[in-house]
Amino acid sequence: MILTGKAITENVVNCQITIEPYNKEHVTTNSYDLTLGSQFIRYTGEILDPRIDNKYEIIECDEQGIVLKQGDFLLGHSCEKIGSQNYVPIIHAKSGIARLGLFVHITADLIDIGSFGCVTFQLYSTLPIRIFPGMKVGQVSFWKPMGDITLYDGKYQGSKGPAPSKVHRDFIA
Amino acid sequence: MILTGNEINRRLQKGEITISPFCNNQLNPNSYNYRLGPKLGVPYQQKNEILFEFIDMPENGYVMQPGCTYLGHTLEILGSDTFAMSLIGRSSLGRLGLWLQVSANLGHTGSCHRWTLELVCAKPFRLYPGMKIGQISFWLNQGDIGLYRGGYSSFNEPHESCINQGMKYATT
Repeated sequence: MILTGKAITENVVNCQITIEPYNKEHVTTNSYDLTLGSQFIRYTGEILDPRIDNKYEIIECDEQGIVLKQGDFLLGHSCEKIGSQNYVPIIHAKSGIARLGLFVHITADLIDIGSFGCVTFQLYSTLPIRIFPGMKVGQVSFWKPMGDITLYDGKYQGSKGPAPSKVHRDFIA
Repeated sequence: MILTGNEINRRLQKGEITISPFCNNQLNPNSYNYRLGPKLGVPYQQKNEILFEFIDMPENGYVMQPGCTYLGHTLEILGSDTFAMSLIGRSSLGRLGLWLQVSANLGHTGSCHRWTLELVCAKPFRLYPGMKIGQISFWLNQGDIGLYRGGYSSFNEPHESCINQGMKYATT
């Protein structure tokens, strides 16, 4: 079952869901809108290799925003820190952003229960687009779990900005 | 409702979920990490037709190019006659620009096989056979279940689209 906007609000009030900062105007019928932060990550290597710690640069943008060319791939982040120990969050683009051809995640919408921090947006543009800090690019929905809960305690816990991949740790025997 | 990792494990023990081979450390709080199988479908064009050449990926990896869909498969046999499934990527690979499916994440109740993955990359990407590449979640059904049988669920290797062949599948 998916929570309604009203249920999300009730659960924020009851501390079953954390959204910081929380703005009641961002509550939608079935989700909560997430805004874009000002920091981005761009990988600098020719080939992305999951076995290595891929090199990247950090880009900080001002209110003029940042332009993505067609086929650009950047990591961004939500201004909001979100998480829940009772519900499973799932990330989606705002449909208005998707209609501009921008992915905000790359087949990785599911967030582990117990995870808390900024969402790392996986930004891929299929059309040229300018995006601005503070704009609503994503939304998070919350889903009821079934079964005993073991909380997330993984490598991205407590992210404060965009977090680059740490998948190379999988390959350390 | 989505099953927690503990519930996935419990239903696996009861025989309501198949994950084979199963490894406890691939269990997440609300999903299971699957691995990439060894075969890869690499597309090529012949006249007006797109065909796939199926190769065995080398141990030192295979470099995919952007703007192209490759067909991979899960190493594990995954399925359930009780729950619906969603097969997606992992955030660790999404953060490197790797798609695991092309907007077709839904796994029908009754399917049980090695799943075909539609692999797309944002930047050139090195794939390694056997790597933990995606995750599957399990969802409680509401209503009578007509199990999905046949169709693509009869394949254990990456399989190209059969959309022009009027593929038959049965619902019990």
